[in-house]
Amino acid sequence: MSENAITRRSFLAGSAGVAAVAAAGFTGFGAWQQAHADEEAGTGRTDAVHTLCNACSSKCGYTAYVVDGKLTKLIGDENNPNAEGHLCARGYGYSQIAYSKDRLTDPLKKNAQGKFEAITWDQAYAEIGEKVKAIIAENGPEAIGLVQDPRPSGSYYCNRFIAALGSPNTYTHGAACNLSKASGITQAIGTGDWVSDVANSQMTMFIGRSYCDGIRPSQVAALERAHENGAYIVMVDPRCNNSTVFADEWVPITPGTDLALVLAMSNVLIKNHLYDAEFVAANSVGFDDWAVAIEGCTPAWAEQLTGIPANTIESLAARFAEAAPAASIEPSWRGAYGCAYANSGETARAVALFNTLLGCWNQPGGALLTSGISAGKLDDPRFAAPPKVEAKKLGSEEYPLASASMGSAVYAGEMAKTGALKGMFFYYSNMAVGYSNPAYLADALSNLELMVVCDVQMSETAMLADYVLPETSYLERSELPEFGGGRVPYVALRSQVLDVIHPNTRSCDQIFTELAEACGVGEYFQFTQDELAEAQLNTVGLTLEGLRQVGTVQFPDKAFVYGKQPTFNTPAKKVQFTSEACAKAGLSPCPVWIEPQDPVGEGEYRLVGGKQAIMTHTQTANVPELMNIAEEYGLMRPWISVADAEALGIKDNDEIVVENDLHSGTSKVRVTERISPGVVYLPSHYGCTSPEQHTAYGKGLRIMDYVPFHIEPAYGSTMSQNTTVRIKKVGA
Amino acid sequence: MANYGMLINTKKCIGCYACRTACQRQNNLLPDEAFIRFEEREVGTYPSVRVEHVPLQCMHCEDAPCVSVCPTGAAKYGTDGIVEVDQGRCIGCLYCVAACPYQVRVRNSETGAVDKCRFCTVAAQDGTKMCSCVEACLTGCRIFGDLDDPDSEISKAIAETGATPIAGDLTKAKIYYVR
Repeated sequence: MSENAITRRSFLAGSAGVAAVAAAGFTGFGAWQQAHADEEAGTGRTDAVHTLCNACSSKCGYTAYVVDGKLTKLIGDENNPNAEGHLCARGYGYSQIAYSKDRLTDPLKKNAQGKFEAITWDQAYAEIGEKVKAIIAENGPEAIGLVQDPRPSGSYYCNRFIAALGSPNTYTHGAACNLSKASGITQAIGTGDWVSDVANSQMTMFIGRSYCDGIRPSQVAALERAHENGAYIVMVDPRCNNSTVFADEWVPITPGTDLALVLAMSNVLIKNHLYDAEFVAANSVGFDDWAVAIEGCTPAWAEQLTGIPANTIESLAARFAEAAPAASIEPSWRGAYGCAYANSGETARAVALFNTLLGCWNQPGGALLTSGISAGKLDDPRFAAPPKVEAKKLGSEEYPLASASMGSAVYAGEMAKTGALKGMFFYYSNMAVGYSNPAYLADALSNLELMVVCDVQMSETAMLADYVLPETSYLERSELPEFGGGRVPYVALRSQVLDVIHPNTRSCDQIFTELAEACGVGEYFQFTQDELAEAQLNTVGLTLEGLRQVGTVQFPDKAFVYGKQPTFNTPAKKVQFTSEACAKAGLSPCPVWIEPQDPVGEGEYRLVGGKQAIMTHTQTANVPELMNIAEEYGLMRPWISVADAEALGIKDNDEIVVENDLHSGTSKVRVTERISPGVVYLPSHYGCTSPEQHTAYGKGLRIMDYVPFHIEPAYGSTMSQNTTVRIKKVGA
Repeated sequence: MANYGMLINTKKCIGCYACRTACQRQNNLLPDEAFIRFEEREVGTYPSVRVEHVPLQCMHCEDAPCVSVCPTGAAKYGTDGIVEVDQGRCIGCLYCVAACPYQVRVRNSETGAVDKCRFCTVAAQDGTKMCSCVEACLTGCRIFGDLDDPDSEISKAIAETGATPIAGDLTKAKIYYVR
């Protein structure tokens, strides 16, 4: 590197140096550190580089300060709409992954004894390429699949690589994240998301989502402003989450029954003629059918399911009507209905319909249908898309409502088990323990003839692989521009901040370009990442160098404008209270009550997960700065209510057993007033079983161990909370 | 001469730990070395409960127990009312750790010396923006400034909110809390 900003003399002078050192034989971290120390001692040079965080999918823009080659301060960029000048704890902490002692440093191949041994990149590519060609020759390209947690370059290169091979089977982690939410909302309004204008609202309800636990700084700021402006903020959650600091009302709810609450509030609006009849008449289809279908969904009915008193539901609905159109239910993300229950997609659909009753689309304080910006058509033939793949993505028929851009990665897991998929690639995805039941997935993925994982550390998914390809950390690589939407569309750029630390690691774009070559489809990758980035940016009037200098560029001329007539990209081009696609997929044409899970038996508790402000997925637990916080403050502990603890003779910090038919584990417990009785909360980040993650290994319980392998009908999500557990004091 | 202090509004604290991890980067601390610690308090009972997060760090007391007990003079009063630790003089006896009623002094596991919040908003200024706790806080919980200047933002905020030290007159602490 780093022509970006860091111009000091470099340990490795560019990629030629990387190759030379690699050829000399796997120079390690220690050698790098020493060389670095010798060379850099005392120069005191400070450089500042605009880049993007990778601690979660928000990709906040910040300025990284590098002193003598070492990362120091991180300052959120004011002009980045996600950061608004700030970063969260993960952003600061996860930056240290670059220096982790547990980084993958060389390509690995699993030998006959099941142990990994270091091999050269050339060998890895040659063997993977040969295997891919053999699978395609025998089974067709549809037997190849890929799962990724989308990142700017990863999304582009992964999808292009698989398409070049002729396979339709690319999946994101969505099936274990926001697939049902996005897909259900799409059935109602033709797009998968909106922006609730929280700060300017008179009332906003959050269902299972907590801006202050799964943090994007700009959203925290909006919630704080809403609170200061006197908005009535309602948190519907079995837990009194950290966002309740800025809430007026915490509404504890029985997990999995959010749909009943939304249906009942809708019922109240309709029955009492408190909805925006004019907007509904002009902009929707199927309203009358829905009104009839939910006639029985009264607050009294919902009380039985949700545990929320009927009069609370009545008054919430009335308050909404009064606040409308400066009011909405926030769309959520993973939260309570991103992928959690058998009714998650339908909950999302109902939420979008409820907002339609409020007439709040594009109104100040309401639900805003914002737009984005994307790169225009690229004339250079090198960037032309590979031939269109005619085959359908595996799972698209079985789960027809699943967003095509995400697909059902859990179904792909099932297809590995059945043998329909024979070769799978994983990019920055810890599917094996994050997406569904780890025991099932380990068994399923063991059926693959070829499994390749690209990551920065030895994830549990990587442990299952035949080949592990070590990537540079996000601080040591540049990526393609990130085109983002929102109130003001923007483009932001991840630039390389640090020299490559481990000389035998490579960046995503290089790895997939070289893999493509090895698999015989290199013709589609005859360009550098910078060339592509430059071409993409030129279509929106920018240059790569120009964007590097500022990190983020906003497009105020494309900014959202209040009051704009909403467009609904549904088949009817209106809000659809009824959906033919849903009916065809075996659901009710309009959303009606669906039981979330099997009845909760005697002695059983509903299990819920959820993010903590210091962690993302399972990717951050191995960072000492962050794990230290978890250990110091007992954040790995499951939560149970004071009432349940008293009944079971359990005290705070007692060691308890959490078990069901799938798994049993022990942990210290947190006894708290902040959770509904009958519910056990397990944070979603812990229980690492990869011994090479020396900080995270063996700490805490892993929620997915308690979740059976199952898939939400029609929507294809993992039903991540559709399970129960039993608890007892150890020894009791 | 200024007399620096801080105000922390716990009503706006979301317990997110951003201040702690930002401070570690700003001050190049070890992974297990943190100058800010947290207390969490549940107020009320289910379902009428709320949560209070209280970040704690060196209070830069005018009558600092750590300075009184330090046998080598490593813990001392510096300029502008900032309590300092001279790392070179610290022998790691941990008397100060025991003496600090706020439990906010930490031992550096590599050097054995004791360290703590440096009010870096003053001490480490290098002309660029910082990721100190004050600037990193997502909700603007924190105000830093001169307690002796009646026109400073912090002085006005203390007067307006009635903020007080966390433990009354236990020591003459210079971090004021809104609770």
